[in-house]
Amino acid sequence: MNMGDNPLDASLLLFPIFEVTHIVSFAIAIGTVALVDFRMLGLAMPRQAPGKLMRDTRLWTLIALCATVFSGLLMYSTEPEKYYLNVSFLFKLACLFLAITFHYTVHRRVVLAQRSGSRIEAGAKLVACVSLVLWVSVVFGGIFIEFVRPGLSFN
Amino acid sequence: MLLDLALWLQNTGLMRALRESDHGYEILLSLHLSFISLFGAMIALTNTRLLGWALTQDSVSEVVDPLRWPKRAGFVCAATCGFLLFGMKAEEYYLNVFFRIKVMLFLTIATHALVFRPSVYNKPSELEGASGTPLRAKIAGGIALVLWFGVVCAGRGIGYIYPPPFSHHFTAMRAVPGERSAYNSANPAAPDARSGASNRRR
Repeated sequence: MNMGDNPLDASLLLFPIFEVTHIVSFAIAIGTVALVDFRMLGLAMPRQAPGKLMRDTRLWTLIALCATVFSGLLMYSTEPEKYYLNVSFLFKLACLFLAITFHYTVHRRVVLAQRSGSRIEAGAKLVACVSLVLWVSVVFGGIFIEFVRPGLSFN
Repeated sequence: MLLDLALWLQNTGLMRALRESDHGYEILLSLHLSFISLFGAMIALTNTRLLGWALTQDSVSEVVDPLRWPKRAGFVCAATCGFLLFGMKAEEYYLNVFFRIKVMLFLTIATHALVFRPSVYNKPSELEGASGTPLRAKIAGGIALVLWFGVVCAGRGIGYIYPPPFSHHFTAMRAVPGERSAYNSANPAAPDARSGASNRRR
């Protein structure tokens, strides 16, 4: 094996293992965030306080996000020129950056401010909707990577 | 008979319309993964609580009961998207070994639900104990996590298998009349699976 060879390309199983790790970890990360957002929208777990739900799941979210980013970087390293020139991948990265930033700033502050038993205000529900849209956009961006032509165009 | 059923399904009006749309498959796949994310997180939280690995500051019923209907809704949404994805290329999926493994795992999960729902998932208040959750609850949680993880692995594995060139959908959709398809020209005897990241199908 040459110095420039990527070990992930040489192994039959390594890439699929990291791909599955990527999928499972983003499922947990996005799922735990979405659970809090659905609570904010009144669609799930109405008796749980949103702030408590967030505090109970935040470690899961953080660990899963770290695993997602780490496995994603390893997968990116196998064909960096393909991903770098892929408009869907760039869209995914932009949405991921926005989603993580939004989650740990505005979203966190708004969710923790909700008191148990009190009505969720429209502004807080809007924050939950924005959070959901950003995270689902990351998923869409990831799926469309393989379906767009290389090069920075929308075909 | 199953193959005939798959061919009939993929040729129904709805499935043909979805298959011939510009981005129907990609949109459905993205929605499928989004619903899997929500559903998967709830499965992970419920079963790791049964194992005593997470959310131990909350009682078992405080974790399991509120997630019951959201889990069912998430599963229905993910399964609906999955069925539509299957129907678009039913013959390809029928011939795909990883899809068959995924179906077998779903049947095993259904058996797991029949066995453990009456005594574990439907009676979380009876699982509270000073020494933690009972052994049967831990077994139920552990098996559920392994099975669902297997479903994710098998689902991802589907994309690593190329459809055989003789499949109806493949030759009908990919080949231009009067010309050999790019795939058939380049790969007259395609292997069943490719190795390495650069050769992965999708």
